[in-house]
Amino acid sequence: MHDENPSRNDNRTCTLVWLTMIGLTLVTYFSDKLGWNDLGVSLGVLLLALIKGHLVGAYFMELRHVRGFWRWPITLWLFVPGILISAAFYLADS
Amino acid sequence: MPTIENNSTAADRPNDRYPPGDLAIWIFILAELAVFAIAFVGYAFARTYNVELFDEYQQHLDRRSALINTLVLITSSYFVVRAVHAIREDDSRRCVQWLSAALLMGALFLFIKGAEFAHHFSLGINLSTNTFYMFYLSLTIFHFMHVIMAMVILAAILLKAKRGGYSARDHRGVETGASYWHMVDLVWLILFPLVYVMH
Repeated sequence: MHDENPSRNDNRTCTLVWLTMIGLTLVTYFSDKLGWNDLGVSLGVLLLALIKGHLVGAYFMELRHVRGFWRWPITLWLFVPGILISAAFYLADS
Repeated sequence: MPTIENNSTAADRPNDRYPPGDLAIWIFILAELAVFAIAFVGYAFARTYNVELFDEYQQHLDRRSALINTLVLITSSYFVVRAVHAIREDDSRRCVQWLSAALLMGALFLFIKGAEFAHHFSLGINLSTNTFYMFYLSLTIFHFMHVIMAMVILAAILLKAKRGGYSARDHRGVETGASYWHMVDLVWLILFPLVYVMH
């Protein structure tokens, strides 16, 4: 059923985002025990962190409702260092 | 300074040019994030020259405390979101309740992290111990100070909200404080895996 109260919808969406982030954090914590190689685990864990960061920016900071310049700085902040950190861990592993 | 229409929910205004809250806090947030980004990348590249040292001393960190602190900060951010939604519905009382809950979470974070620092310092660990601890302590203490600052901001907003200082029409202060709080959460979301988990 469609809920006409936008504020209630906002609450439901943010509750779902919060639970998703709790789940991803637990996956991060237990990732060590999956038996993958170290670089694979590290890059997977970093990707989960970037996804969580994107969720915070888009839903908690409400940047998904913003158009133009201000929509992108958080995404850039996540992915530029994310790529550099990935490169550093790849270099360290090779 | 640009302003946004405040007597609506976020879903009602899908095409704003500016993020919620005062634009000045967003410039401050971006400056802070840039500093943390440089430190994160610095940590990762410093590790390439000291892989064994970083991996060895990372094992000495209390990963379970870091997990609990991550869950605590994520939850505090969620409480702040609910506080913003409450004031948009003109419900000051619920806004105060959610802000109080977020502040409690912040205090819990400081207590857990403080205990971790006390343990390190009791072992004689400091910034000069080695490169890993130099980065670990610098990053986490810097973040710790940001949590304290965010709590002070949130407490000021809480006091004003308690006096009925915000409403559905005028709540930019709540949004401004909330944005800063989320920034502190955002930084920890990268810091936790980078320093405690990735190896």
